Formats: sequence, structure tokens, C-alpha cells
Amino acid sequence: MLGAEPGVALVAVGGYGRRELLPGSDLDVLLLHAGREGIASIADRIWYPVWDSGARLDHAVRTVPQARRVARADIKVALGLLTSRHVAGDPTLTTQLREGALEDWRAGARTRLAELRDLHNERARIFGELAFLLEPDLKEARGGLRDVHAIQAIAAAWVASAPGPRVRAAYESILDARHILHEITGRASDRLVLEEHDEVARAAGLLDGDALLRELAGAGRTVAYAVDHAFRQAERAAGRRLRRRKLERRPLADGVVEQDGEVVLARAADPVSDPVLILRAAAAAAQAGRPLAPRALARLADCPPLPVPWPPDARDALVSLLGAGHAAIGVWEALDQEGLVTALIPDWERVRNRPQRNPLHTFTVDRHLVEAAAYAAALTRDVARPDLLLLAALLHDLGKGWPGDHSVSGEVVARDVARRVGFSDADAELVAQAARHHLLLPMIATRRDLDDPVTVEQVARTVGGRSLLELLHALAAADGMATGPAAWNDWKAGLVSDLVKRVAAVLAGDPPAGARPLREDQLALANEGGPAAVIKGDEVTVVSPDRPGLLWRAAGVLASHRLTVRGANATFVGRTAVAVFNVVPEYGDPPDTALVASDLRRMLEGRLDVEERLERRARAARPRGAMVAPPKVTLVDDASLTATVVEVRAHDEPGLLWRVGRALGGCGLDLRSARVETLGAEAVDVFYVADESGKPLTDKTMRKATVEAVLGALTSL
Amino acid sequence: MKLVTAVIKPFKLDDVKAALQAFGVHGMTVVEASGYGRQRGHTEVYRGAEYQIDLVPKVRVEVLCDDEDVDDLIGVILKAAQTGRIGDGKVWAVPVDSVVRVRTGERGPDAI
Repeated sequence: MLGAEPGVALVAVGGYGRRELLPGSDLDVLLLHAGREGIASIADRIWYPVWDSGARLDHAVRTVPQARRVARADIKVALGLLTSRHVAGDPTLTTQLREGALEDWRAGARTRLAELRDLHNERARIFGELAFLLEPDLKEARGGLRDVHAIQAIAAAWVASAPGPRVRAAYESILDARHILHEITGRASDRLVLEEHDEVARAAGLLDGDALLRELAGAGRTVAYAVDHAFRQAERAAGRRLRRRKLERRPLADGVVEQDGEVVLARAADPVSDPVLILRAAAAAAQAGRPLAPRALARLADCPPLPVPWPPDARDALVSLLGAGHAAIGVWEALDQEGLVTALIPDWERVRNRPQRNPLHTFTVDRHLVEAAAYAAALTRDVARPDLLLLAALLHDLGKGWPGDHSVSGEVVARDVARRVGFSDADAELVAQAARHHLLLPMIATRRDLDDPVTVEQVARTVGGRSLLELLHALAAADGMATGPAAWNDWKAGLVSDLVKRVAAVLAGDPPAGARPLREDQLALANEGGPAAVIKGDEVTVVSPDRPGLLWRAAGVLASHRLTVRGANATFVGRTAVAVFNVVPEYGDPPDTALVASDLRRMLEGRLDVEERLERRARAARPRGAMVAPPKVTLVDDASLTATVVEVRAHDEPGLLWRVGRALGGCGLDLRSARVETLGAEAVDVFYVADESGKPLTDKTMRKATVEAVLGALTSL
Repeated sequence: MKLVTAVIKPFKLDDVKAALQAFGVHGMTVVEASGYGRQRGHTEVYRGAEYQIDLVPKVRVEVLCDDEDVDDLIGVILKAAQTGRIGDGKVWAVPVDSVVRVRTGERGPDAI
């Protein structure tokens, strides 16, 4: 009808411009003109027939400058113009509008993209996450259609790349579901309500509502991940224009570097020969609270599979990754998007994107497990084996991928995975039992009479020992918190605590592990009397005639050479003190053995000022991004008759051991023996101490002062 | 019409629900609660430290009934919820002025 009329054009914008008309959609059009007379009557001749046909019309009549002006003031209009398409009339006018709108968009990118980000956050707050809702809004929810439009808008500003094939496929999935939903309901509602799940699924060629939710969850997660990445690129682009300094590169772990707020692989890193690199990079990123860069992930895809069972440093890296708490979730999501999680743990595939039909549950099964591990990270101080707790939290619902009682099938899967990850049979058994009985405590606490001794006895018999009991207690809390607010609250927590107290009173505890016995060669060295320092591989043995502070001073020397103490054993042979350390270089090449040995000897002779060296290093320390639980120091009395046991649980840091040792020494305490272990990123230290007269600490003020001194040393890190 | 409220031990909820259903009630409201009675909580000793607990977890169940059913209803709840030990809770009845069913607008005893 417009024919070859110059100076008038009909332009489709928004969804119509995208060629995505759904049964319930509006026609979103703009009548462009070059300021000609009689435009109103032309407009009427177009609008009236459309109105009469019953279609809904969202229309405007503007000149190109007017349209641009409105777009500059209103971001939603600007977004609509980004997808404008010529329908009829003078094509040069439409081209003018498109180019002008894009120019304005790019020129105002910094503020527009920030506004876009606010819109996204607001939508996420109101509509939730598509991947995890039972009845998601396919357009507005986070991970939905509008988020893909946002990525396209960011790409139009030349700040990020356009959506890749995975995002495009996800978009098609969600759009198809939306289309079918509109057809079936005959309405323009975008909310995929429960009643419609099965029908929409069948029309989409899927088995049932569950299969549909699973596919949508996968699509939603892909989109959410991509939109987060696009916004990060936008922020970085905006920031770079303000700050013109050189890119900072800071090493985080062997082969892993932080650069410009992201974690990338070092230039020298070789994924093909380093299967542990995936987990090491992920752990470093999570502990630093920074995201993994997509190019790092692409390189990590070249890593070969890990040998089964995993080597100890792979196991440690996994524990360290999980121990980072909520910072681990984003990193895990990144690994999952690249398919790296199922490569590491094949059993994960069965719970990926699996929906939970229970309204109590906020998340899909796999995300629930990751959230449970994140909550468990805050509870690691309350258990003797933080590594087992984190793994149990991650695996406890894997049984949901199998038919039948998920606790029963979960036990089998958890044991398999724990062994695969490299835990001993005894440890794997604990993890399996934790998965088997993870619902025991909450169920009994709310359904049985806690005053009845039979109830307590039954639980005690099932649990068998305090180590499983404390694992189950922490796991119940983590599981509950990761399920949703209706599943866990103070009321329930109180009942479970009560049950645990009663059961603990009936069960025997394991005393804190003392120092390990020495080997032949170590004993021989000790019998020579020392002072001596011997380094063999990753083991450092230091021997000295009884000298206060041997442990912490040696630890200090090691720390000053960038050696992280993964384990330590200190004990006495007669009057000779022996300390054995297992060390690992913080990153890069290990330091010169001869240099370390000579420094240790100088320290033994009293010719080295350890503190000064360490203060210098502490000033160059890297910041930690992840939030960690506060350290915990407890004095345990029933373990030994001749000494008091000081248990220290804290997040591992360079120099932790020497600080704690120094604090203990500063209290005038005599160190009888010590056992230090680092599980993932958690340090579990046990010190057997006595007062100056050689007796256990009974004086209340002295006990309090000891705890305070050690806590003070830990919190000043 | 009366509202019968019972504050009971949490693990007794299943028994009370079953007994009420057998009695023939048409509905109830259940809420997690905390409380104490004459015992005023109790003292706990854990890892060497003593501390007072005064609010203990309970469950509150509420049922609407006709005037003539009150005594029987209270008896049913009592029997199901009792353990004989301290902390069993209390049951009471208050008169209700009006009751309306939301879906249909029915009022009075028809709405119970």
C-alpha cells in the first residue's frame, strides 16, 4: 500500500522485528516519515485495518530524529530499535534509523549497559531463575529470552561477541516452548504453569513434563552463564576507559594466574600434560573469588582424563574448590558449561538439570548438591574431617539419578565416587554412610520422642561413632539450607541439635590423632642428636636438641621460601626434638634445596631472624576473595593424661603454622608433640601441650589466654 | 462454634492428626512453635559449658468444631498427645463468633 512513496516507511521493531511472532504477540511497529504532510491519514489507513482484524498493535509515528531522541531517553525503546526491520515504503529511511540508533547505542554504551544490567538484576529478583523454577516465566526469568536479547544488545555495542551456537540453541528451545505454550493456552502468558507441562512437552516431542523441565533447565543455565559473562565484559570495557594502567598478572597456583579480574592459565602451563590442572585452576579461582576466563576454560578442555583413582593433589584441589563456599558455585557452573564436570565425575550426568517435583526444593538436583557443599564449607570447623564433609555434601543426593530410595542407591554411588577421587576405603565408607543416612537426624528429631532412650540408642547404633554423627549433623544443616527456607529453620535445627547431643553422650569419641611414629631413618637421625636438617623430595626433617620453638621456627623458614606445609609431625626422641614436614611449593619451581637446608641450619644455630623475613613476605601477600568460616580453637582434655590437646581449625594460609606455633610458645607452653594436616584448603592442627611444670593446663585463666592468643594469631592473617 | 488449640510435642503430630481424622474433623491448621510451661525449660551441659534453654520446640494444632463436640475433641487430642512426661503441652477452647468458607461464602456451622 505504501508502494514507492518516498519519505515514509513502516518499520517492525522488537519481537516483530526479530521475526518472532507468537500467537499471543503484539505487532510492534513504527511509522517513519521525513516530516511530510498528511502523515496522520496515512497512518490511519494502516492502523484501522489492523485494529479491525483483531490483531493487537503497538504503534508510533515519528521522524528519524524524533525516534532517536525517544530511544536515547528510554532504554526499552532503544532496545526495540536495535532489532528494527524494514517492512514497507522507503528503505533508505529505515536504514537511516537503524544506523542512527546503533550509533547512539554505542556512543552511550557505558550508561546504557549499566542500565541494562540493572534491568536484568531487577528481573532476576522478581521472576527468579528459569533453570530452577517449577513454573518459570520463559521470557522474563533469569536465563530466559530477554537475557538473550540483552546479550545481543551488549554485542551491538561492540563490547562482547554475539551469542554463540550453544546460546542460540538454548534460545530456540525456550522460544519453541513459549510458542507451544501460547498455542495451547490461547493466551499470551509466558509462565509455564504446572498443568501445561505434559502437554507442552508432548507437543515439543519430549517424553513428559520432567524431560521438558530438564531441557529448559539446561537452556536457562546456558543463557544465564552467557549473560553473566557478557555483563562482565561490559564492565571491563567500561572500566578500561577510566583506568589506563598496565594489566596486572598475579600468580595464584602452579600454572594459574589472575589477570584483570579473571583467572587464566599461565603462558607456560601445558594442559595436555597436566590432568590435574582443571581442578587446580578451579580451586585457585574459587579461593580467590574470581571467575575463570572463557579462554582458560577452552584451554582446560585439552586436559587428558585423570587416572583413576585420582592422585592426591587432584583430590586436594577438589576439596579446596568445595571449601571456598559460595565462591565455588560460579566456578563449578563454568566447568559444567564446558562439560568438564561430567568428565571428572561421570555419575554427575544422571543428576544434571534434574528437576525436583517437590515444592520444598528451590534447585535442580545438581545445583542443590553444589549449594549444599557451599553451605557445608561454613560448617567445616565443626567436624574432624572437613574434606569428607565437603565431599559427602556434594554427593549426598546422587542417588536421585537412580530409581528407588535415593539414600540406598546414593550409598553405592557415593562410595564409588569417593574411591575414584582417591580416598582410602575407610574414608570412602564414611562418605557412603553419610549419603545413606543423610536424612536420619532430621527425620528422627521431628518424628520421634527424644526423651525415649530407645530412640537415642537406635540412632547411636545406626551411626556407630562420633565421626559419622558429626558429619551427619553438619550435612543435615547444609542439606536443609540448600533445599529452601521451608526445609530448615531454627526450630528444626534446635531439634536436631538436641538429638545429636543425646546421641553423642552415648557414643564414644575418637581422641584427636597424635603424632605419627617416626621411620627408621628419621629415628637414626634423631639418635645422632642433631642439630641437623635433611631434605628429601617433598619431605623436610629437622632435628635439634630440646629447643623451644623448633616447630614454628622451622615452619617459618619454610614459609619464607614459599613452601606450603601440607602436613607436619613433631615429637620427641629422648631429649631430641624432631619435626618432619611435607611441603609443596606455592607455585612455580621449587626453591633450591641447598638454600633451604642452609637456612634451616642457620635457624637451628640461632643465626637467622625468621620473623623479619616473614614480615617482608606478608606485605606482598595475595588477597583472598572467598569468604571463609572464622577459625576455631578448642582445648580438649579427655584425650591425654599428661598434656592438654589444642585443636586448631582454620583456613590454610601461608605462614599459618609458624604463627600458631609462635603464639603457643608465647604463652609459655611446652609443645610435646604436634600433628598438622591440610585437607583441601582447611588446616587441621593438633598440638599436645603442657604448662611449664610439665602438667596439663588446668588453670582457667591460662586456658582462656591460650585460646585467645592462638585466635589472635589466626585472625591477624 | 469453638476453636480448639493444642500445643503439643513435635513428634506427636502424626498421632494427633491420625486421631483427629479418625474422629471425623474436616480440617486443621498446623504451625511450628516454641514455648515453655511450669518446668520453665531445663539446664543443659555440653562440652563443659552450662546453659539455659527456656523455649522448647512445639507444634500448635488448631481445629474448628461445633459446641457439642468440644469435650470429645479435647479428649481425643489428649489421648493421642500424652506421654506422661513433662512438656506434653496444653489444649484449650475459645468461642468463635463467625466462620466463613472462602470458596463458597457459606457461613456458620456449615462452614466448619
